[in-house]
This record gives sequence, C-alpha cells and structure tokens, in this order.
Amino acid sequence: MKHAQFRINNKVRVLFSSLALVSMSFLTSCDDDDPKKEDTPELITEVTLTFTPTGGGSTVTATATDPDGEGVQNLTVDGPINLAVNKTYTLSVELINGLADPSEPEYDITAEVEEESDEHMFFFGWTSNVFSDPAGNGNVDNRADDVNYNDEDDNGLPLGLNTSWTTVAASASGTFTIMLKHQPDLKSATSTSTDGDSDIDLDFIINVN
Amino acid sequence: MCGCLMYFSATAQETCTASLSGSVQSNPWEALPGATVSIDSIGRAAACDEQGRFLFENLCSGHYTLFVHFIGYKRQLVKVDVTGKTQITIILQPDVTELAEVLVQDKPLHTEHAQNFTTLNQKQLDESSGKSLGEMLKEVPGVNSIQAGPGIFKPVIHGVHSNRILILNYGIRQEGQQWGAEHAPEIDPFVASNIVVIKDASAIKYGTDALGGVIVVNPPPLPETAGLGGSFNSVVQSNGRSGTFSGMLQGGIKGHEGWGWRMQGTARRAGDFHAPDYSLTNTGVKELNFSASTGYHSEHKGIEVYFSHFKTELGILKGTSISNMDDLLAAMERTPPQYTTDFSYNISEPRQEVSHNLIKINGHIHSNFGEWRLQYGFQNNNRQEYDMRIGSLSTIPSIDLQLNTHTIEAEVERNKSEKITTCFGVTGMLQENNNIPGTQRIPFIPDFNNISAGVFGISKFFFKNLTVDAGARYDYRSYAVAGYDFKNTLYKTNFRFHNASATIGATLAFKKRQTLNMSISSAWRPPHVAELYSLGTHQSAAAIEYGLLLNDSTNEVMDIDDVSFNIEQALKWVGSYQREWNKVTLDVTVYANYIFNYIYLKPTGITQNVRGLYPYFRYTQTDAVFLGADFSATWQVNDHLKVIPKATVLRASDQTNNDYLVFIPANRLEVALRYESPKFFTFKNFYAESKVKFIAKQHRAPRTITVREFNNAIENDTDPLQGSSSNFDFMDAPDAYWLWNMAVGLSVQGTKARYDFRLASENTLNTTYREYTNRFRYYADDLGTNFIFSIKCTF
Repeated sequence: MKHAQFRINNKVRVLFSSLALVSMSFLTSCDDDDPKKEDTPELITEVTLTFTPTGGGSTVTATATDPDGEGVQNLTVDGPINLAVNKTYTLSVELINGLADPSEPEYDITAEVEEESDEHMFFFGWTSNVFSDPAGNGNVDNRADDVNYNDEDDNGLPLGLNTSWTTVAASASGTFTIMLKHQPDLKSATSTSTDGDSDIDLDFIINVN
Repeated sequence: MCGCLMYFSATAQETCTASLSGSVQSNPWEALPGATVSIDSIGRAAACDEQGRFLFENLCSGHYTLFVHFIGYKRQLVKVDVTGKTQITIILQPDVTELAEVLVQDKPLHTEHAQNFTTLNQKQLDESSGKSLGEMLKEVPGVNSIQAGPGIFKPVIHGVHSNRILILNYGIRQEGQQWGAEHAPEIDPFVASNIVVIKDASAIKYGTDALGGVIVVNPPPLPETAGLGGSFNSVVQSNGRSGTFSGMLQGGIKGHEGWGWRMQGTARRAGDFHAPDYSLTNTGVKELNFSASTGYHSEHKGIEVYFSHFKTELGILKGTSISNMDDLLAAMERTPPQYTTDFSYNISEPRQEVSHNLIKINGHIHSNFGEWRLQYGFQNNNRQEYDMRIGSLSTIPSIDLQLNTHTIEAEVERNKSEKITTCFGVTGMLQENNNIPGTQRIPFIPDFNNISAGVFGISKFFFKNLTVDAGARYDYRSYAVAGYDFKNTLYKTNFRFHNASATIGATLAFKKRQTLNMSISSAWRPPHVAELYSLGTHQSAAAIEYGLLLNDSTNEVMDIDDVSFNIEQALKWVGSYQREWNKVTLDVTVYANYIFNYIYLKPTGITQNVRGLYPYFRYTQTDAVFLGADFSATWQVNDHLKVIPKATVLRASDQTNNDYLVFIPANRLEVALRYESPKFFTFKNFYAESKVKFIAKQHRAPRTITVREFNNAIENDTDPLQGSSSNFDFMDAPDAYWLWNMAVGLSVQGTKARYDFRLASENTLNTTYREYTNRFRYYADDLGTNFIFSIKCTF
C-alpha cells in the first residue's frame, strides 16, 4: 500500500513538472512581442471622381474623404461638381486608402477593383435630367436604364471605372449618386444595385452651368 | 457496474433479530444495481448489489415504511410488516424526465455546493443526440439560446449569456472566444453522461464570471475493473440531410485493478438546412471530435489524464453577407434571402473554422487531514472567420485568433465531522490571445495576456433536515493588451482588477417529500478585452462595434483610468421548491438577479464612410435586473401515461434608463404527453411522446426604428433616433409561435448489447416562424420540419 502510494505520487510529480515545463515554453516563446501590423487592402477612405472634357479643357474633380475608416467620424464630401452645359466628359473613378502609405500596395484600391472586374460594378443615379446622354435618371433604381460604360469585365458586362457623360444645354442642378457593388457569383446582365454588398455608396451635388 | 453492498449507520440492535431482504427491479427481469432503500424511521439505508438485492438485518419486528430510490426512476414508498425473515420485491417505474435531483448524496459532480440546479441525465441526452450543446440545453427550464442560424447556439441562463456564464468541461473552465454572439461553446455533448445547469451564481470554486450560472459537462467515471464496454450512436436528420456518428469504447486493464481508459469520437456532417419555403444556403456543418482518457482510482487516491479535440466548420447563411444600411433594408425585405440556391453540402464564405484542444491532468489523494486535489489544464482555441471579401481576400480569414489558456487548481476538502465539510483552494490562470497575422484587416480585438489568481473557502454544514453552504472567494486578474487602433497604429497598455465574491445557500428537506432551496450569491467578472477595445464590423452584423475605451468623438484608445468604468457585479437570489405527491412532482424556481454596471452593446448612432451609412453600437454600462421563474412538473396519470408541463418566464430591464434590454428570450411554455411501457411486444422501454411548445412574442423589446425610417430621417435631415438615447432594434420582435414535436422510441435487448431506436419529428406542421433571439431573424425564417432517426448500441 505504502509502495503503491509512492508510485502514484511520483507519477503525479513527473507529470506536473513536465507540464509546467511545457507551459513555461509556451508562455515565454511568444511573450511581449508587438503584434504584427496588418495591411488593409479593403479600406477605402478616399473616392475621387475626375470629369475630363473631351476635346480639351480643365478637369473637374470631386472627392469624398473619410478621416477614420471604421471610426465614428463622418465622411466629408466636397463639391459641388460644376460642369459646363452641353459638353461631353469622361468620368474616371479613383479609390484610395489614405490611412496607408502611398508606397504600400494597398494604397490604390482602383487596381484591386479592376482585377476583380467580374465581381464588381458601378451604378450611377442622378436627378433633374442634368445629362442629355445618358438620358433618364440612371441605373440605381432600374438596371436597364442607360449609363455609358467605357469598360467591361471578361464576360462583357459593364464595370464603370470609366464612363461618358454629356450635359444638358440649359442650366440644371441636382444630386449625383455613385455606388460600387461587390457581386461575387451574382453579377449578371440583370443584377441590380441592391444585389451583393456595397463597397461605395456616395451622393454628390451636381451643377450644370 | 458498481454494486457493492453497503450499510450506512448499521448500528446493531441486539434485542431484535428480524431481517428484511429483497430486490429492486425495473421490471420482473431487470435488476437495478445501485438503487437505494432507506428506512427513515430508524435512520438506516442500503444500496442494492449487482443483482439488485438489499438486506437489513437486526430489525425489530414491526411495521416499516421503505423509501426506494434510483436515478431515472420514480421514487416509491413501500409499507411492509417485518417478522422473522421477510422478503420483498420492489418494482420501480422509469422516470426518464425526472429533472431536479434533490437528494444530496446523489448530486452530480461539481454541484456539491449548489442549491439550485437541473440535471440532464443520460436518457435525456440520448433523446436529443445529434444536437449541439447549446441546443440540447434548451430542454432545461430557464435555459434558452442565442442563435446565429441553424448551427450556432449559445446557451442563455436566466437571460444572461456569453461571458456571464461559466462552462465547466470535465472540471475545467472552458476558455474560448465567448464574447461573440455567434461563437458557440466548443464542446462535443457526446462526451457527457450528464449535463448540469447550476442556476445559482455560486461558482465559488471555479472563479469569476458565473453571474448567471454554470453549465457542468460531466463525462461518466472511468471504469476501474477489467472488461470492455462502449456504445455507438448514429443519428440522421432530414433537415440539413445530416448524419452524426459517435462511438465510445472503454475498459479496465486486466491485472491492474483500478486502471481504466476511454476513447470517444464524433463526426457530424450537415448540408444546407431549410426553412418551410426555401433553402438556407450555406448553413452546413462539418465537425470532427475525439477524446481519450485514462486513469487510476483506488479508495484513497486517483489520477486521470484527459485529452480532447474539437473541430468544426460552420457555414453562415450567405444572405446575411451585407454591408451598409441600404443592403440591410434590401435583405430584410427580400424573400428568399439573397444567394439562395438548391441544397448543397458546400460550405463557403461567410464561414467559421473553430478548433479547441484540451489536455487535463488531475489527481486526488486522501490523507488524515482531508482529501487533496490538484488539477492542471491546457486549452488551445483557434477561431477563424472568413467573410465574402474583395477578390482573393475571401480565402484568408478576416478574424484569426489563437487563445491559449493554462489553468491550475489545488484544493483540500476536510471532513471534520459528519456535521461539516470545508474546502479551501487556490486557482491560477495564464492566458494568451494572439491575432494570427495575415488577415489584411485591422484586428477586431487586440492581442492580450492575462494572469488570474484566486483563493476560496467554502463550507457545508449538515443539520437534521438542513444543509447550509457558505463560501467566499477573492480574485485578481491583470491584463497586458497590445493592438492597433482605427489608424492602424499600435497601442499597448496594462491594467488589473481584483474583487471578492461570496455565496450562502441552504437546502431544507421537510415532511411530505418537500425541499426548499435558497441561495444568495454575489459574483463579479473582469471585463473582456472585446468589451473594452472592439473595433469594426462583425460577421453578418451590418453594424460597427466600438469598445468602451474608444473615445466617443475621436475614436482614439483611452486609458481605463480616464473613463468612468466600473466592474460588473451581480447579486443573485434564487429560491426553489420541490414537492412530490404520489402522482405528481413539482419543481418551481424563482430568481432575481441584479447586475450592477452591466456591459452591453448599445445602439448609439449612425456613421458614414464611403460604403454608405452604418449604425454603430458602443459597449456601455448600466444597471440591469433579471426577474423570472422556471416551472416544471410531472403528472403520472396512470401506469403508462404522464403529462409534463414546463414553463419559463423572464422580465429583464435596464434600471438606470428605465428601458428594455436587447436579446432577452421571450416567455415560453411546453406541455409533453408521454406514454411509457417497460414492455411492448418483444421490445422494452417503449415510449411515445407528443410535445407542444409555445413561444410568446417578446413584448418587452426595445423600440423599433426601421431602416426605412432611418433613411427617411437622414434624407430629411432629422434625427433618426428621435432625440432619445434609448435602445432600439431595426425590426419588431417576431410574433408568437407554436411548434409540435413528436417522438417514439424503444429498446431491443440482445445477448451482448442493447439497441435503442428513436424516431422523432420537430416542427411537425412545418410552421413558418422566426425566433426573437436568433440573430438571423432579420434575414430568413427559422427551420422547417425535421425528421430524426437514431440508433444507439450499448455493449
């Protein structure tokens, strides 16, 4: 009986001391190292719309800037977008992560969207018929409505990083909405602005003079 | 299995020579080894041997009342006249739904000092096999769940959950990422032979956090004698087209009395579940668990080693993958959910991969001073959450956490006399949480180390009909935190908490088989790092969450000393009353839980980024009150038929703001009608059950501000919160609903094995409903009809 008890105690001791060793090595191995900084390729803090008049002239830009990403501070949208009457513009969209350093690859999100063009699509909406071409109020509310896309994905579906716009002949003003939807396996010739999830959803004031 | 003949207080009375012997059986051909027979009038009791036999010698001739009792069977009173050598046979009726087990000597493991608890025994666990732990526990009155779709169930005891309840898995505090509402406990319920829900806040021996209660998962004791036994379970279910297979083998070692071993494993695979009208795309489950243990036990000492591995992959309903408030509006108004396709076993993003490993060693040894116990546990928890992200980012997790926890506990229990036992102990915990680099996202919670230590003492006093438990505990916890803020710049900080908890409780047994239990406990918990530092959007939440220490306007991480933070503390009173009549048993529990500085996620406002508008939630503190009652009863109508009603009511409120709290389970009532017959043609243990469940509408829910109202208010430049800071929800609480479940079961006794068959249906009428505490109720209906067929073979 005494012998058996000693045997068990010994076993307990060996087991516990070896476990203590294992645990010590676990704790010392990764202690006190600073966590590694992550790249943040999905974060978009700056969206710039650049309207370039065809046939020359000065460009018009409008920017939406988010100072803190997922932070509580609100977005600031500059503008208004002041366009000339009866003029044709190409609109290019640039997406930037301003919290990253410009030298870092995640700074430019535009390239990311271009690469995944078959899963992304821009939708546009506007009020007060500020454009003569495309006519109407855009494809946010109705996918079939006209928008002049200048680019497309591998499946021949529109993307929208580059689009064309012709303003009306008389002065007008209203809002201009731009949405970027992420539609993995959903993007089709009929997918709408409510399909998928939103990467961008912005409203600008637009004036045509 | 264990059936040695035992006598308690067998004081021989020399003048009397009569004896009473007999056997206790469940039916004429099956003995009940271990059943207890007591004669209260002379204070004697006996346990039945392997043939179910008992013997009382040296009795005086006369009239006696025997009290016959065995877990899982109805208690019976037998009146007998003893003269000379009297023999008697007692047949007990099975009572598979017997809940609150009130006899002190029959208490399951780890409930020694609890007054108010409910046990799910092996039979009850068998009847819900194939379900996850959280779903199984809904059988217990007072327990609900917070759900994230069909596969993720988090237990809720008396209205509180997550970091406020403690799960004791084989005696070890379960340490996972409990903070998330869609993080289910990482435990395979097939390891358990009983699961106990302690409703007191009295986990004095197990540390902080048990503000609402404790869930105890107890595996069966290891075999101690040679021989091989085991069981195999297979469960197939129509909804989700799932299969669950579980096997267990155990035995002793020949020539090494006292040594035993057990191996156990479970595999589970489910595809997309379905609501009455559509498939719930991407809700499949893949699970693989195994465990092994070995140990030695003798009368005065024992040692055990246990290892378990749990691994699951869970699909999250694809239609919940949304971004801003417009997406949420579209998702709420869309039927069926976006991305709905035909049935598939595929699991794609969004999904979770979770694994949990546990190694445990514990030993105990008896000395003259008392019994010494020592236990060490190491837990390794890994959680990866994958979301639908831009391009190739979908293949890397957006949350990737590893949590390693060492726990050590030492205690000594001293039985000074038959009147008092006292237990003292110390506990320690070292924990390390790391974000595994490579998520390409600012981590949702920071890295942290925590060191915790505690000392406790608890005594149990035995009086004539009364037992009293009183205990106290002191805990210390320090945190070292390192994370990245919204600008992706590093912050590092240290802080500590310490506080006391105490409990006092009493159980009074009095005549007419009545018991009254009462306890008052105070408990506290240190805040979880997630509550202090959370930053970002969460899987399927369509909201941004901010921790308590993030500044309201600048978002900068603040020092804990610069904010008005107070430790969360609970004061919980629980009273319960049990009574048995000849045909009726009754169990009523009433409680009041006052939680000071209750931390919760409060909907606070709207913020805008380039993705659009987002509501944001901020961790906030308030004082909360939970008042409620649990009720269960059994009415044995005749030899075969019984009626089992159960009810749970709860009123929770935010005292400080005179408001309702979110996610409080609605009141519910169920009534089961059960027919049982020990013999049914050539089969045994036949039963047929029909159960109706009624879940009321949660009328005590925060106000509703629909997404449409939000959008209109923002468009019209008015305040969407209508100038009030009270809580809100985007959708009204769903309507009340009824569900009808049915089950039949029977057993076949072979020469070497027993087979239990069960066929059941849930939501038999294919009712369309939504459950208030299911986080996916914004997006989809709950489950349609499910047929279950299970076979269990025990040998």
